[in-house]
Amino acid sequence: MRYFRIFFLHFQQAFALRSRSMVWFLISLFNPVLFYIFWAGAYHEKGNIFTSWNLSNVAVYYILLVIAGSLLIVHIEEDVAHWDIQEGGLSRYILKPFPYIWLKFFEELPWRLIQGAFGIITFVVFRILLGDFLSVSLPLSIVILAVCIWIFAYLLSFFYKMILGISALWITDYSGLQQISEVVIVIFAGLLMPLEFLPDTVRQIATALPFSYIIYYPLVALQGKLNIVDMLRVIGIQSLWIIGLHFLFQLLWKKGVKLFTGIGQ
Amino acid sequence: MVISLSHLKKYYKVHQKEPGFMGSLRSLVHRKYQTVKAVDDISFSIAEGELVGFIGPNGAGKTTTLKCLSGLLYPTSGIVSVLGFTPFDRKNAYLKQIALVMGQKNQLWWDLPAQETFLLNKEIYEIEDVQYKKTLRDLVELLDVEALLKVQVRKLSLGERMKMELIAALIHSPRVLFLDEPTIGLDVVMQKNMRDFIREYNARKKSTILLTSHYMEDVKQLAQRVIIIDHGRILYDGKLEALVKKFAKHKVLSIVLDEYVTPDKLEAVGDLVEYNFPKAVIRVPRSASNVAAAQLLEKFPVDDLNIEEPDIEDIIRDVFTQKK
Repeated sequence: MRYFRIFFLHFQQAFALRSRSMVWFLISLFNPVLFYIFWAGAYHEKGNIFTSWNLSNVAVYYILLVIAGSLLIVHIEEDVAHWDIQEGGLSRYILKPFPYIWLKFFEELPWRLIQGAFGIITFVVFRILLGDFLSVSLPLSIVILAVCIWIFAYLLSFFYKMILGISALWITDYSGLQQISEVVIVIFAGLLMPLEFLPDTVRQIATALPFSYIIYYPLVALQGKLNIVDMLRVIGIQSLWIIGLHFLFQLLWKKGVKLFTGIGQ
Repeated sequence: MVISLSHLKKYYKVHQKEPGFMGSLRSLVHRKYQTVKAVDDISFSIAEGELVGFIGPNGAGKTTTLKCLSGLLYPTSGIVSVLGFTPFDRKNAYLKQIALVMGQKNQLWWDLPAQETFLLNKEIYEIEDVQYKKTLRDLVELLDVEALLKVQVRKLSLGERMKMELIAALIHSPRVLFLDEPTIGLDVVMQKNMRDFIREYNARKKSTILLTSHYMEDVKQLAQRVIIIDHGRILYDGKLEALVKKFAKHKVLSIVLDEYVTPDKLEAVGDLVEYNFPKAVIRVPRSASNVAAAQLLEKFPVDDLNIEEPDIEDIIRDVFTQKK
């Protein structure tokens, strides 16, 4: 119950700033819409470019991407690197009898849920407007496994971004690393296009990295493109990444926090 | 002893770069570092319930010491013990008994009333409902902020925010309180309110308080014991009155004259610090103050005479100057 109360208190804070959430959501909305317009033009010109993906599948992918981009792409890294480490805000966290990583977890989750809710509303609106063009029908077992994949995707995204954030304990100019990370995520997570559209080598790299398990696999799972065995395999790989990243975070945190000087505080 | 600190050192390695483009290139190949001794071999201990003033100029090492004591920083060497814990282990049992309050640095949620942050701290510190309500009621009463509890933090004045910060920091009733510049940026009225609160809190809760401040008034009003630090080393640790006796080598004679006397005649008695007829201020060696006073009364048309200790600010300034 204590954790729920801490979560709800943070939710109030994020809810008080819902207009800021809306602005960030719009950014998550525009890119997928633009990409869909591009592919709609290509399909219109060339017919079915990829045999396993018709235009309706592509549309569902991008509209689900609006939800996934808002809900699953954690944006805690700048908070951690800039405000907490470089500006010294970490001082007020590490003297609390509560782990820093979980305080940041409860800070971030409400923002994702609020922006994710905007995404779901957008999906419903498009579904009403476009009817069967956006239809997805899935058996309950697939839905349950897909929900698990989305939860694990969130955890994976969170631990990755926390590690990126605490890198500022060693790196003075953290923003360069953040930019590189953004580019890598855009390419390999499936934010540009479904991984099937990429060349084989790039796709193989993408499946070897954790990023496709944050966006691409949650999306195709919800589109019914994975069978139960595939989904269980995805959950297994996500679990391994989560355990690995959590372990790496703890290791880096233990070493890095000794370097914190609390400058600015 | 609640706080015990032995041979604490905290050194930083700071990168030094030569000026200009060539300096940048050189630093790529060969980086030069300088060791800054923020705290250099200091030792002291503080008993339960003591309120100690920790003073020194900017960069003296006050805040670094406080950060080492609270557990924020790992010391380079030395033994630090607070309430029997090693602070930088940051054990929950330790963190629940201390608070570090830094002036103008906030933990309050900006867009919500301060009481939401108090509730968050209640959960984080696992405070029982009854205890939470009692502590909150006491603090609200002491700081007189009942009307502000439901106001968004961004709408509060700096002084009101500082009061709320104190409540947030004290809601778990810490046994040890580290206050770093708690009155910085506040107007004189609010400074006084804050001092009154700290004094009253110390008296009521018997908390051990270590206070740093740039304002000597804070230290004069609150602390019986002071620790003076400069360049990372302790220059003085003892009672405030003893500091005056130890370091004040002069006394100040303030006189009011009936008739005008030329300044050169007054200078014969001592160092004429100020002369604005009919008032004059003369500084004399401590041991000669009685003789000088008698001389003034005997040889000059003196209407009034006072023998005073120099200002504590002046004494401390002298301590720092002598050290340099």
